[in-house]
Amino acid sequence: MAVSKLAYYPGCPSETHAIEQDMSTKAVFEKLGIELVEVEDWNCCGAAEAENPEMVYALNARNLAIAERDNLDMMVTSCSVCFYNLARTNEAYEKDAGLKDRMKAIDPALEYNGSVKAKHVVDVIVNEVGLDEIKKRIEKKIPVKVAPYYGCYMGRPSRLGFDDPDNPETMDKIIELLGGEVIPYSQMKAKCCGGPLMMTRSDLAFKMSKNLIDAAKARGADCIVTACPLCHMMLDAKQPDIEETFKVKLEMPVLYFTQILGLGLGIDPKKLGLNKNIVSTKAIEEKVI
Amino acid sequence: MAIKTWELDSNFKNEIAAMPGGEGIMKCFQCSTCTVGCPITELEPSYNPRKIIQMSLLGMKKEVLESEEIWLCAVCQTCSERCPQDVRISDLMGAIRRIAEKEAEEGKIELKGVRAIFEKAFMHQLEKFGRMYEIGLSMEYYKKAHGGFFAGMMAMQKDYQKLGMRFFKKGKMGPKSMFPDKIKRTGEVKKIFEKVGE
Ligand code: SF4
Ligand code: SF4
Repeated sequence: MAVSKLAYYPGCPSETHAIEQDMSTKAVFEKLGIELVEVEDWNCCGAAEAENPEMVYALNARNLAIAERDNLDMMVTSCSVCFYNLARTNEAYEKDAGLKDRMKAIDPALEYNGSVKAKHVVDVIVNEVGLDEIKKRIEKKIPVKVAPYYGCYMGRPSRLGFDDPDNPETMDKIIELLGGEVIPYSQMKAKCCGGPLMMTRSDLAFKMSKNLIDAAKARGADCIVTACPLCHMMLDAKQPDIEETFKVKLEMPVLYFTQILGLGLGIDPKKLGLNKNIVSTKAIEEKVI
Repeated sequence: MAIKTWELDSNFKNEIAAMPGGEGIMKCFQCSTCTVGCPITELEPSYNPRKIIQMSLLGMKKEVLESEEIWLCAVCQTCSERCPQDVRISDLMGAIRRIAEKEAEEGKIELKGVRAIFEKAFMHQLEKFGRMYEIGLSMEYYKKAHGGFFAGMMAMQKDYQKLGMRFFKKGKMGPKSMFPDKIKRTGEVKKIFEKVGE
């Protein structure tokens, strides 16, 4: 296993609605023997709301600079939007020769040399830790049918992403190792959940998320697995609102990638925050053998 | 809608191209690949990114900036990924939205929809605390989007009462969500806002 210590960027939802993602990420890395060093005094990445790219670069340069000063060369985040913002900041550092000085001129705290690689948690697990290592560590089997939902930024844009832009499969591989069955879901895997429109055009966002849940249900999925707090918010926390809006029953458990992986690694469900998902995950926990 | 040729602003495309994110606009050759794969167009056919680009290239500045459509992009990157001309449409939409916000502040146009209000409210929280404070965000957004404190709070309660209850029951409404989780060196973030601007 190549990595033993990583900078960890939790992102804002980790303290509120995505607390179970933070818990399960920490538990999984602890179990794998990889130290996570939380970026000291980290700030928000700007999410999808910071429209000015220069603002995005500045916000993320501050976080990357903190990790760089701690001599860490890789930063992991469990949020796809944070990953996108960190990765495009690094890209801008490579392509725009003047950026480094412009950032430093804002504040010395933004002095960053571009040396910290930004990685999504799924990328670290599959490509840094590696499938062979994960296979060796699996203690439990989870024979359930899974709809793996990737959303936008794991593969798009492909100059930044780490998976296929249209038909990603990194999470599929882990789910299969865990004894799960991946349902045919390639049409939906990377289709947007509508998250960025949640507050301003919830009618559109609800429809987009409902289509994802409907497709999973139609193909017999026992649960959806996702690795982004915004997707999770739409699919899990908002699922009762979607049910009410469209007058349907969905009752589709939505687990974080680190939660299902943690179950397979034999971690206690409480430690993975499985009692914090809005739609009950009991049916999945009961199938773990 | 007939195009009023005498009202076209031929400099609009240059204005967009000069914005970070808008650089690719001149490369568009109108193939529609972006629009065909857009998940928003699929649900709302009036949303047509190719058309927004063509209108911008023609100089239909006011029509573009006052349209509801520029606020509909979900930033999913499907179009940017597929565009044969590497136009980076979602970044381009962002550049157009920033021009719209600026022109609206100067009183030259009227913005459609509430996304500008939401984005502003989001950035205000970030500027103040360095992190997202969701309750602060919702309070500011609802107040402004619904034209006043009481109307805003009523609307917020309607939308959020159930979600809040759900979070509360699952122990996700602890002190960390009730109060802003301020970073230590907020001064550094304030400096970013001072020097870069929103
Ligand atoms: S895909 Fe690219 S070139 Fe084709 S219409 Fe869209 S922006 Fe223009
Ligand atoms: S980024 Fe925006 S315009 Fe492009 S496909 Fe996604 S929603 Fe449509």
